[in-house]
Amino acid sequence: MIRQLFILSSKGDPLLFRDFRGETGDDDVVNVFYQKVTALPGDQPPVVMTLRDLHFLHIRQGGLYWVATTSADSSPFTIVEFLNRLAALVKDYCGGLSEKSVQMNFALIYELLDEVLDYGHIQTTSSDMLKNFLQSEAVSSRPFSLFDLSNVGLFGADTQQSKVAPSSAAARPIQASREQGGRSEIFADVVERMSVVVGSNGVLMKADVEGEIRVKCFMPSCSEIRIGLNEELSIGKSQLRGYGAAVRVDRCSFHQGVRLDEFDSHRILRLCPSQGEQTVMQYQLTDDLPTAPPFRLFPTIERDGTGRLILFLKLRCDLPPKSSAVNVCASVPVPKGAVSLSQELSSPDQSAELQSQNRAVVWQIPRLAGGTQLSALFKLDVPGLSSASMLEVGPVGLSFELPKFTATGLQIRFLRLSPVQPAPSQRWVRYVTHSDSYSIRI
Amino acid sequence: MQEWANQLCENRQFGSKMTDSKYFTTTKKGEIFELKAELNSDKKEKKKEAVKKVIASMTVGKDVSALFPDVVNCMQTDNLELKKLVYLYLMNYAKSQPDMAIMAVNTFVKDCEDPNPLIRALAVRTMGCIRVDKITEYLCEPLRKCLKDEDPYVRKTAAVCVAKLHDINAQLVEDQGFLDTLKDLISDSNPMVVANAVAALSEIAESHPNSNLLDLNPQTINKLLTALNECTEWGQIFILDCLANYTPRDDRESQSICERVTPRLSHANSAVVLSAVKVLMKFMEMLPKDLDYYGTLLKKLAPPLVTLLSAEPELQYVALRNINLIVQRRPEIMKHEMKVFFVKYNDPIYVKLEKLDIMIRLASQANIAQVLAELKEYATEVDVDFVRKAVRAIGRCAIKVEQSAERCVSTLLDLIQTKVNYVVQEAIVVIKDIFRKYPNKYESVIATLCENLDSLDEPEARAAMIWIVGEYAERIDNADELLESFLEGFHDESTQVQLQLLTAIVKLFLKKPTETQELVQQVLSLATQDSDNPDLRDRGYIYWRLLSTDPVAAKEVVLAEKPLISEETDLIEPTLLEELICHIGTLASVYHKPPSAFVEGSRGVQHKRLPCSAGSGESVDSPETSSTAGVSDAPPAVIPSQGDLLGDLLNLDLTPTTTGPPPPAVSTGMQLGAMDLLGGGLDSLLGGDLGGNPAIGAGFGAAPAAMPASFGAPGSGGLDDLFDLGSGVGMPMGAYSPPKSVWLQAMKAKGLEISGTFARRAGVIQMEMTLTNKAMSVMTDFAIQFNRNSFGLSPAGPLQVLTPLSPNQSIEVALPLNTSGPVMKMDPLNNLQVAVKNNIDVFYFSCQYPISMLFVEDGKMERQIFLATWKDIPNENESQFQIKDCHLSSDAVSNKLQGSNIFTIAKRTVDGQDMLYLSVKLTNGIWVLAELRIQAGNPNYTISLKCRAPEVSQCVFQSYEAVLKN
Repeated sequence: MIRQLFILSSKGDPLLFRDFRGETGDDDVVNVFYQKVTALPGDQPPVVMTLRDLHFLHIRQGGLYWVATTSADSSPFTIVEFLNRLAALVKDYCGGLSEKSVQMNFALIYELLDEVLDYGHIQTTSSDMLKNFLQSEAVSSRPFSLFDLSNVGLFGADTQQSKVAPSSAAARPIQASREQGGRSEIFADVVERMSVVVGSNGVLMKADVEGEIRVKCFMPSCSEIRIGLNEELSIGKSQLRGYGAAVRVDRCSFHQGVRLDEFDSHRILRLCPSQGEQTVMQYQLTDDLPTAPPFRLFPTIERDGTGRLILFLKLRCDLPPKSSAVNVCASVPVPKGAVSLSQELSSPDQSAELQSQNRAVVWQIPRLAGGTQLSALFKLDVPGLSSASMLEVGPVGLSFELPKFTATGLQIRFLRLSPVQPAPSQRWVRYVTHSDSYSIRI
Repeated sequence: MQEWANQLCENRQFGSKMTDSKYFTTTKKGEIFELKAELNSDKKEKKKEAVKKVIASMTVGKDVSALFPDVVNCMQTDNLELKKLVYLYLMNYAKSQPDMAIMAVNTFVKDCEDPNPLIRALAVRTMGCIRVDKITEYLCEPLRKCLKDEDPYVRKTAAVCVAKLHDINAQLVEDQGFLDTLKDLISDSNPMVVANAVAALSEIAESHPNSNLLDLNPQTINKLLTALNECTEWGQIFILDCLANYTPRDDRESQSICERVTPRLSHANSAVVLSAVKVLMKFMEMLPKDLDYYGTLLKKLAPPLVTLLSAEPELQYVALRNINLIVQRRPEIMKHEMKVFFVKYNDPIYVKLEKLDIMIRLASQANIAQVLAELKEYATEVDVDFVRKAVRAIGRCAIKVEQSAERCVSTLLDLIQTKVNYVVQEAIVVIKDIFRKYPNKYESVIATLCENLDSLDEPEARAAMIWIVGEYAERIDNADELLESFLEGFHDESTQVQLQLLTAIVKLFLKKPTETQELVQQVLSLATQDSDNPDLRDRGYIYWRLLSTDPVAAKEVVLAEKPLISEETDLIEPTLLEELICHIGTLASVYHKPPSAFVEGSRGVQHKRLPCSAGSGESVDSPETSSTAGVSDAPPAVIPSQGDLLGDLLNLDLTPTTTGPPPPAVSTGMQLGAMDLLGGGLDSLLGGDLGGNPAIGAGFGAAPAAMPASFGAPGSGGLDDLFDLGSGVGMPMGAYSPPKSVWLQAMKAKGLEISGTFARRAGVIQMEMTLTNKAMSVMTDFAIQFNRNSFGLSPAGPLQVLTPLSPNQSIEVALPLNTSGPVMKMDPLNNLQVAVKNNIDVFYFSCQYPISMLFVEDGKMERQIFLATWKDIPNENESQFQIKDCHLSSDAVSNKLQGSNIFTIAKRTVDGQDMLYLSVKLTNGIWVLAELRIQAGNPNYTISLKCRAPEVSQCVFQSYEAVLKN
């Protein structure tokens, strides 16, 4: 059970403090926590910190520390999971997470906390249930404007109107929709994270995809939505559906509100979405990508006569030609003591730098279209370069975003609302794949 | 923050006189005043805003308790938002203003009757949080009503309120019968109410470990399982945690519960998943392993655990710590999931290390190739800690999977070639373990290892390398040089290295005794005399004694076959593991410590145990699990992290030589006695053919020469004290037949008792001993040897014990001595260390001889020479002593001394004071001159001794005194 809960700004100021058990000790827990968390060395697991019999668990979201303390043998999973949900709830209710939005809505958040936790026992985190109890209204820290399109997101929108949804569109308080008659909108995001290891011989050694379908709902009167996935989606290794290249995941789990009566036959998820954001489905795919991994790297590493280290990298993007990768960043570990870098890059929008504290050359590519190839030549001065230090080069880590692309091939066929909405409503479906850990060994 | 802390203090001090607070009397008085006005405003909106401001101040730590009455006045409102804010304020300040809090009671009681369930629940929830004793009395009636409220929201709030009240006043809760009502709520129709009732009961039960509050029986379990499907995810956690405390009656019940819990494994909330895993892990214990369902369950457990690893790094870490426990208990669950534990390059280091740990635990013949390839990659990463652990992991794989050992060793050799310092050192540490696991298999790599000797700077690596050199000394040509190079900086090494070096050199000596005697003596003396580390000293003494007593036995002990090391290391001890399995998902599972180690007081500290498996299951281990069952049944020997020889030494049976704790004097005698006896003992070690080799004989002869330097140094530290104790054994002084004293006690020498004295008879020094056999068996084959001593005393012939000494028999032996033995200065000077051997063993003792027996018969100096010598000896060599309580005349003194070969050269009388000039010559030709002044009527004589070797003066004076007084 949770003893105290507090939210701190990044500077350690308490924005909110609530003691649920009424047995406050003499310690200034807020201060103690902040000192501990800022003094934490990087190689220590920051999961639990201890002050005598008091254990601190925290997460960081929206630049804030969300901290719970407990003195019994509680489950860190429960508490961290709860803090994440709480942060999500606050985000839903206040329309965003920031020091300002928390400060402005403290009364609402206190009210929220009262319902969410009783005597340190978690009661509910479902916004559907909570909306019956909450009285305060959210104060939006930034008035939401439909014309605020300056910040166009990376997501392409795949709707009837084929317009682009602003990435900030989902950042607003859920209650506004019912009170202020805001637009009724629903967002369905398919977000995947890839971890890939490519061996030094170019063989794919490991490829995992973790994905989830998130629904963010601003529909005041929506009783049910039906989300149709690829009909040929198969789950598990043995099952095979449809013809040809099946879309497959190994495991999946669903939000408890999802009804699966039509899932087995037609791959349709039915749910009554709560206001705000929820993860409808999570799935994993291990070791069996339907397509080739998005990137291949052809490195050449040698020592030239003057004792310099020459790195010649060819990076090939194997995405379909229509897709492209953005914010690609390749980090190449280099031998200790590398002092200077000279570079030849194939286009001016790329950049590269030597980060000596990380012992790595970081190569940034803002955009890389499918089916194309880039090359880069790096020359490094490494005093005392030996053959053993050549071993210190690699593995290359890649980070990237693949908008409008899912590594598993999972798609949302349709998103239907019932009953049919009286007012015009917007339905947005967005896809994105991020790199989680994409490493290519040299 | 500091400001807030200060105000909290003030808050406590001032109680209700809050207006005194410094804070308000100074700058902010206006603000409080303003708020007060706003709070009393008629307009609802304004009131609400004011209360919000108050709460905002409260949050940032300002003290707004002065507004208590004004805020409480706002309580009576139908605006729920305002009411909530006021209650929030109340909860915060009621404790500091108990009297005023009573003002609120009426409103609470009234609110509990409100038609709006939200208000009823709010009132009962807030009342429970006001920890003021007086309020609790008023709380009982409303609470009772709310527990039976028609609205489940009110009931679930009331259920938690019982726990709150119990914490404030447990007796009250019991008297009012709330506990029974709470138990009834377990059967409530609303799952939320059930969950809260379970949570409340669990909490109350924790503070009363023996109360049978949560009386779990099949009926209640059934109700809980039904509620499990319906309640919120958080309620599911309460219920699952509660289920985990239940012990099913038989395997069938266990299986049915498992079946109903299994669906929770696919829940999106990882906390629910882990709680379900806990229940399943526990109840699985009761399932027979041949049951089909058991296998099914094992398969079902893997995917959810894998899924946990897709969380944020912090949660991954928690998950990994739990998986680590699960894998130790049931490795078969994750055996096909090796790949998910491969590290990602951007994992935080704590996740990487934890993953490595699990990888090693899961390594098996089936996946070893894959694992090894990964580990080799890791070994070239950037992070030093991680690389070290990866290298170590390769070694662990070699030990765990025999088929892979060769590949692991070659991988390690590749890594050593990189010459990266910490990689090399780690590799050497693990290769040592590989050598122990597979003796005589991979010694070909030793040469490569030796090349890296110089780069080793970490104690563990140095110790490992030294161990390897010592263990394989016979195959390393220059082992002695290698070890000698370490010996130079012996005192700068860490204990670990010192101990290892000592052992290694002893091993080397036992293997190549001819060339390394000097080395071993050097290390033994470094370890025993120049070190303050008791471990090192003790180990040194043990070796020393072993070597000198019975080198063959020493060989058997030191070079004994070592017990094989086990494959699994750092396993958690099985009972702790069982307890931790019962705490899966909790802090205990993250710390890998039982909750009692970090939860305050005795509260909630119950050691949980896994249930016993059903009788049928135990005998029918499937082959797949039998190996793992072995792991948990018998804790395998873990590789000692250092000092592997300690194990060998512990095997040594010390009881024959020391029954009971030996007194210090005797034991030091033994150890030092070993010094010269080494040579003798070695004969038996070297065998006949070597014994005849004069070169070796010379080698032995030369060896002692190295000793005096270290041994003769008077700073033998604590040993001096021990010798002083030894002097208590007896200084047989006085006439030529001083009483015998016991030199060797029977209990220290397996029944042989030796008492004795020294005498000079007709110019021959004799050691007169009585040997008594107090053992049950006959003693034969007596022999005696002396250690080198100050005056070169040594037996002039063999010890003449011609007949066997039967039990309880004594025999008198007189051993003539000469003074032609090897000389070494002892401290004290007249100390003699003796070894006596018989058919049973060799025994050591030390005794002190009266120096007067060394006074030779021709010690009378010519007068002229005396005078010249007296003048010639510098004054700083003169020492003066007092002989007290002596009532002899000068003539009597002269006569008495003469009997002991102390000769009077001249006598003078000055002012009624007799001055005797005396001379003494020792066996080694040292002259000691003396002037004895005897004043008539004064029993105290003054004696001045002059000698070219002034260190003997003290001894000689003692002889004078002894002779005169007897």
